[in-house]
Amino acid sequence: MIFSTLEHILTHISFSIVSIVITIHFITFLVDKIVNLYDSSEKGMIITFFCITGLLVTRWVYSGHFPLSDLYESLIFLSWSLSLIHIVPYFKKNQNLLSTIIGPSAIFTQGFATSGLLTEIHESKILVPALQSEWLIMHVSMMILGYAALLCGSLLSVSLLVITVRKKRKFFYMSNHLLNLNESFFFGEIESMNERSNVLQNTSFFSPKNYYRSQLIQQLDYWSYRVISLGFIFLTIGILSGAVWANEAWGSYWSWDPKETWAFITWIVFAIYLHTRTNIKLKGTNSAIVASIGFLIIWICYFGVNLLGIGLHSYGSFTLTSN
Amino acid sequence: MNNLCSTTLPKIEAYNIKNVFKSRAHYSYPTNSFLYSSCSTKNGGKITLTLTFSSKKSVFCKLETSKSENNTKGKKKSSQLPTKTIIAAPEPGGAPTVSGGGAPVEPPENKKVGSRLLKGLPKKVLSVLSNLPLAIAEMFAVAALMALGTVVEQGENPDFYFRKYPEDNPALGFFTWRWSFSHSTEAIRKQEYSDTLPRASVRDLGVVLMGAGYEVFLKGPSLYAFKGLAGRLAPIGVHLALLLIMAGGTLSAAGSFRGSVTVPQGLNFVIGDVLGPSGFLSTPSESFNTEVHVNRFSMDYYSSGEVSQFHSDLSLFDLSGKEIMRKTISVNDPLRYGGITIYQTDWSLSALQIMKDEEGPFNLALAPLKINGDKKLYGAFLPVGDTDSTNLKGISMLARDMQSIVLYDQEGKFAGVRRPNSKLPIEIDGIKIVVLDAIGSTGLDIKTDPGVPIVYAGFGALMLTTCISFLSHTQIWALQDGTTVVIGGKTNRSKGELPDDMNFLLDQVPEIVESSSSSSSTQSDIVSG
Repeated sequence: MIFSTLEHILTHISFSIVSIVITIHFITFLVDKIVNLYDSSEKGMIITFFCITGLLVTRWVYSGHFPLSDLYESLIFLSWSLSLIHIVPYFKKNQNLLSTIIGPSAIFTQGFATSGLLTEIHESKILVPALQSEWLIMHVSMMILGYAALLCGSLLSVSLLVITVRKKRKFFYMSNHLLNLNESFFFGEIESMNERSNVLQNTSFFSPKNYYRSQLIQQLDYWSYRVISLGFIFLTIGILSGAVWANEAWGSYWSWDPKETWAFITWIVFAIYLHTRTNIKLKGTNSAIVASIGFLIIWICYFGVNLLGIGLHSYGSFTLTSN
Repeated sequence: MNNLCSTTLPKIEAYNIKNVFKSRAHYSYPTNSFLYSSCSTKNGGKITLTLTFSSKKSVFCKLETSKSENNTKGKKKSSQLPTKTIIAAPEPGGAPTVSGGGAPVEPPENKKVGSRLLKGLPKKVLSVLSNLPLAIAEMFAVAALMALGTVVEQGENPDFYFRKYPEDNPALGFFTWRWSFSHSTEAIRKQEYSDTLPRASVRDLGVVLMGAGYEVFLKGPSLYAFKGLAGRLAPIGVHLALLLIMAGGTLSAAGSFRGSVTVPQGLNFVIGDVLGPSGFLSTPSESFNTEVHVNRFSMDYYSSGEVSQFHSDLSLFDLSGKEIMRKTISVNDPLRYGGITIYQTDWSLSALQIMKDEEGPFNLALAPLKINGDKKLYGAFLPVGDTDSTNLKGISMLARDMQSIVLYDQEGKFAGVRRPNSKLPIEIDGIKIVVLDAIGSTGLDIKTDPGVPIVYAGFGALMLTTCISFLSHTQIWALQDGTTVVIGGKTNRSKGELPDDMNFLLDQVPEIVESSSSSSSTQSDIVSG
């Protein structure tokens, strides 16, 4: 009982802090940078991180197994990974870009996890025989860390595409802020798909007026590359440890299970991304297109396959029926 | 009939087409590129040629057929083109037909484009992959490197190699340590990052770089330093690891045995009887004669009643009947013996052991019942009265798992539930029944897989090399120009951090206040300042 209360408290604290952090971001972007507010948003993310960590630890102690056995727990872990990336000092130099991506992503995952859709599976469940292995921690945590990093990186690429498309259309006047971008991620993605043919022909044109924007594009390009490379490492380790585990539990290291296949597809898409980066001609928009395809693929892999509830990975499946 | 075709033209043909474009269309095309074409016939004896170059440029051109083209310069190839390239797609059940230039069938426009994309791409990929000289060159490179590895001493520290194979006096002729020192300030300034340090010495810079983990090479006034060379080489390792995994996977597919068996507790089976080969490389081994005895099959339950784990206590016996090994396996904990792995994968119920009116024990066979869904349900039937009568009645028993048995009387009404080891009797229609035990059978998967060690080696290598690939290969050149040092650098991955890192390092380079080698002008500057 104490555990579940504690869990509730931590969930709500982290959720409200993330919302406050996002509000602060909006304010700092709308109004001039208020240093104090900005600092507090930094602190807010750190508090969120510790809250979610506490939440996961509570669940671990309470259920007796690593809290990654179902979708709810993996979503919480995903938002934990997102806030972890935020905290990693390596990315500190570029807080601005990443914060705008990570904040909303964290709130979406957190919000979805705690929303009514998944109430049935909030209860910490028992672990089926196949999941009772040390490999669970290694495999699932690596996969989700990989997803988190890849999502961040591909969102950066999506925003790059949005800027490029807008630049071409001249709808979006230069502003010093990324604010509007953030809102138009999902809309922009659909739009950018329509515009893909244009983007392919679109060669970079720089004028002094566009100086800031071209610099921003370069930054987005570079950081999405770095974050995706990091996520790719996690994804590789996750898939391979999963294969080793499968050889222990199911009797085959690769059985073309839908989830396995989609993880492999995700891996290939991001491998393509990394290869496009090696070619100067394909850098920039083209690689960003690949990354945004990867963004969709991750969601198919993470949710789509589970929605179908087929195959050997059907533990995390959930039903969307509201009863 | 689809009269649309797409085929790779022979080189000579391609050359002729170039001439057509030169003379008639004035179209610039990429030279030395792969050239693919798809052509379609049109009404009025015209051919639409679609050329796709490897640079993704495609060119559409309408050629006239032999009739009208005969008097032009390109007579030879245009008369050849249609007959050579128009091969109609085979009709279902019919042989492919080769039609002349004037076949008056107009294909739909969108189909033409789609076909070009679909048919052109695999061809392009194939032609690159099936490049025999490339494959041979690769194999030669691997062989040559291995051969070289046997000549060069292994496992020494780098200094040894520098002494043994000095730069100026190459020992192996082709194998030299050639560091690309840069001798012009122009070249250095052209790098992605460049800076000038006044009143500094290239030696101090070298010391600072060494402190930051760089490999530093000094030669006179010029300096070359690099860091993270592994990051540049690791991608090669990634691809080699992938090849290793593929090789292992192929071996797995071609050389393994698989089988699954459901064995009731207390029975045994011979491994070789269960296994079936998966490919032409599958060869049975000695250990296939091993006999497996299922000593016990049990299930663990959570307090909520759900299954937490399955256990099978297995004993292995060799041909002479001697026990070689005994292990209790469970999901995630298989048994491994002589290349054979036995996994716990499934379960079912085989029999109920009961006492009827203090007689017995009897074993009643349990049959799987498929009612709805995949839930397991087993049923047994205990006949009551005359077993030869046509209207046979009896007691039915249903079991979902080994925990509880539901009993129904002769009329099919619910009579009660008993736990198998509770020893609590139940009286149905005057018959006293004690459910002694539910005997389960274990579902085992058995396999041999010679590819696993190779695949695992590949996995390990892939993980390692992918991680190393994150490292960035940074190269720095510097040249002493009087008292100033010109520094340039480039990196292949962490381009965003290079300026910051470099500025941090250059801040540590000490400023020379007084130098013996400095010119008189700078000396006077210092004096006057």
